[in-house]
Amino acid sequence: MATTTASITLTSADLLTDVLSLSATNTLYKAGTTIGLDQTTGMTKAYLTAETNIDIFPTLIEGSMAFAGKSSWVYICNKSEDETEFATITISGNIIGKLYAGDYLWMPWSQSEDGHGDNKHGDIELLPSVATGMWFEWCMINEGTEYPTAV
Amino acid sequence: MATTTATITLSSTDLLSDELALSTTATLTQAGNSTGVVGTSGLGRKKTGGTSQYILFDGDAYANGAHKVYLKNTSTTAAQYFTIEINSEQMGKLYAGDWCFFPWEANADTNDIKIQPSAADMVLEYMLLIDE
Repeated sequence: MATTTASITLTSADLLTDVLSLSATNTLYKAGTTIGLDQTTGMTKAYLTAETNIDIFPTLIEGSMAFAGKSSWVYICNKSEDETEFATITISGNIIGKLYAGDYLWMPWSQSEDGHGDNKHGDIELLPSVATGMWFEWCMINEGTEYPTAV
Repeated sequence: MATTTATITLSSTDLLSDELALSTTATLTQAGNSTGVVGTSGLGRKKTGGTSQYILFDGDAYANGAHKVYLKNTSTTAAQYFTIEINSEQMGKLYAGDWCFFPWEANADTNDIKIQPSAADMVLEYMLLIDE
């Protein structure tokens, strides 16, 4: 069993009259248990040069029974240093938000079937705002991985 | 202009043969510029007696922007979770002690963030950092 922890610290001295200093740490467990997650896609580093929506975990069979009730965590970071450059992140074709230069997200992912009937199977997609080249990093830490059968 | 930072650290010595030690800090700015976000819901806690789904953040109540959402399940019972939906699509489940941090565009009236507890009397901690 692996032990993987995720921590966040939110700080600001001037957002509020009081200082903001929030910290949280959790250990990544299999769903509903205290057994550590033991699989990962590894960290992808990608240089994207088209304004094209891409499925960032294309080799996985999202929405398959292999993931039913399982726990998955997703990290995505926009490594651009140009404040105007962003990536639009969608799940099942619906916009979550935009990651501007230096922004990241850390979110759980159910990989459940989409609720709008567009057969997206819970895909997480990323759309760069420019075609001049943007760097990204992403990874998933999870339990239960089903890969497509080779053809 | 306020300066607010969010630092994530992912670490493990035994998930892989090599050590995982990732740390990233983001300065939270408004969309497309370097001006810091100045609005926040404040850090809040919500406890519901039942297990019905509720709207935590209403897409109709915020302008389209580079908002950031922080959520934490304060439960200590491993099996208890909150299901997070965005625009009626299931994003994922926050089990006991889990937290998440993600951008939210509030790009449509329907772009609500909805929460459903798996058990009664669970407490969700939340914070919205608002691009306004």
